[in-house]
Amino acid sequence: MLFQPSCHLECITGLVAGRKALLSRFLSSWNGPSVKTTWPVILLGLIAPALAAEDAARQDGLAWLTKMANASRRLNYSGTFVYQHADRIETSRIAHFVNPAGGEFEKLETLDGPAREVIRTNDQVTCYLPDAKTVIIEKRSARRFPALLPEPLTGVADNYVVSVAGMDRVAGYECQVVVLEPRDKLRYGHQFCAETRSGLPLRARTLSEKNQPLESFAFTELKMGGSFSRDQVRSRYAAKSRDWKIDQSTLVLRDVPADTGWTLTRQPAGFRKLTELKRSIAGRAVMVSHIVYSDGVAAVSVFIEPLPKTRPAQSLSHQGAVNIYVRPVADHLVTVLGETPAATVMQIANSLEYRGGLGR
Amino acid sequence: MDKISQWMDGELSGHETQKQLTRVKQDAELHHSWGIFHLIGDVMRGERALSREFEQRVATRLPGEPAVLAPRHRAASRFTTYALSAVASVSAVALVAWIALFNNPLAPPPDLAQAPATPPPTAAPSEQLASVPSDGKMNEYLIAHQEFSPSTEIQGLATYIRGVSSARPLEGR
Repeated sequence: MLFQPSCHLECITGLVAGRKALLSRFLSSWNGPSVKTTWPVILLGLIAPALAAEDAARQDGLAWLTKMANASRRLNYSGTFVYQHADRIETSRIAHFVNPAGGEFEKLETLDGPAREVIRTNDQVTCYLPDAKTVIIEKRSARRFPALLPEPLTGVADNYVVSVAGMDRVAGYECQVVVLEPRDKLRYGHQFCAETRSGLPLRARTLSEKNQPLESFAFTELKMGGSFSRDQVRSRYAAKSRDWKIDQSTLVLRDVPADTGWTLTRQPAGFRKLTELKRSIAGRAVMVSHIVYSDGVAAVSVFIEPLPKTRPAQSLSHQGAVNIYVRPVADHLVTVLGETPAATVMQIANSLEYRGGLGR
Repeated sequence: MDKISQWMDGELSGHETQKQLTRVKQDAELHHSWGIFHLIGDVMRGERALSREFEQRVATRLPGEPAVLAPRHRAASRFTTYALSAVASVSAVALVAWIALFNNPLAPPPDLAQAPATPPPTAAPSEQLASVPSDGKMNEYLIAHQEFSPSTEIQGLATYIRGVSSARPLEGR
């Protein structure tokens, strides 16, 4: 291509566009069968191994993510883990058992500070708060959705550079380090260490834009395997809590998505809507619209409810890697929270718009 | 101000120029305007690159502009007017930013990909709103959120610790 002396801006743009077109043709032909006819073999010889290696690392990383989720769900285990955020460390016990006759049971119990217990029994999560003599019950018709597996994993690779990075040791077990590096600043980085044989995540870290840990979960002691034991996943407050206050939240339309009438004018790149429903929140009488967006790894929840009598000021707070933004919008109170940077949470809150329809 | 504009365009005589020069020297406000006029001129001619921070600040503040479109029980028409004017002002800011940053014939075409019309991922939280540690008032929302987060899918019930965490810095322990 010769550069003409009379060539102006359009011409330069054309040249650049031409180069881009060539590049994209090259890239698209990469997976196709016509590679040999169009492109010099020597160029491929240089680039192919690099691309193949990156692809292999990504496939490997994604496979480990799948393995981790499966292990968390199917494995019997019990152990102690520390939750570290800001300058605080909290120690808890966790036990997970699957009944071969059917049923998944999990128990989380804090070991320091005020006693807390969280019990999962299939489709129900119950939180016991003994000091407040309160029980919070989250009930739903189907367990854990969105299912991370298998389809949304492709979205993960669009939003994160997924790779495996060496071995480490946590709670006495060898583990594989899996790294999710965000492709932009709308999300945080993640690093997991998955037990080599089972894939159980022994450590999970969330990293800030500056690669500083925001939050970390890590086992300090762990026992895997063993047979189903109902006692290990039963609440110690089951009997005592009979006369406690019970805050039960209900998901009215259950798994059927509801049209809340709310939508985003600027949905952050890489995030898609997972679900939209009408529900109640424990301890609150009013119905709340709940919309969830996710990029495959992080999720952001939007709660919209009528404005309480005393209009709250807008506020920004955080709990570990979760940022929480509260903002009154006209006659509504909007609460947006998720394990993403504050800017992402705020962008979602600030671009919320009522499009009408059902819901009010 | 007209005179200064003419002076900048080289339309004043030697005598008149001398007069304006004295004015600008004495009047701080005029002096400031003189600087601003030159800055605008430079930017429009593409002789001066705006700092990266400027571009980011404009883009960061765009998402934060209150383009509020929400239903209201009363006073709907007044609200719509407000919302539309807010949108209009945001658009105007975006347009000015666009012209200042990108209407530059010397700029290389790839820069167009960084148009400020799409909020860039670099958006930082508003400086006026500092983030404070959660005081536990949001725990019910955290618990409600956790069920839908893929992190629960990967790590299991452990992530619920966020919603029952005993860390309440305001109350102490």
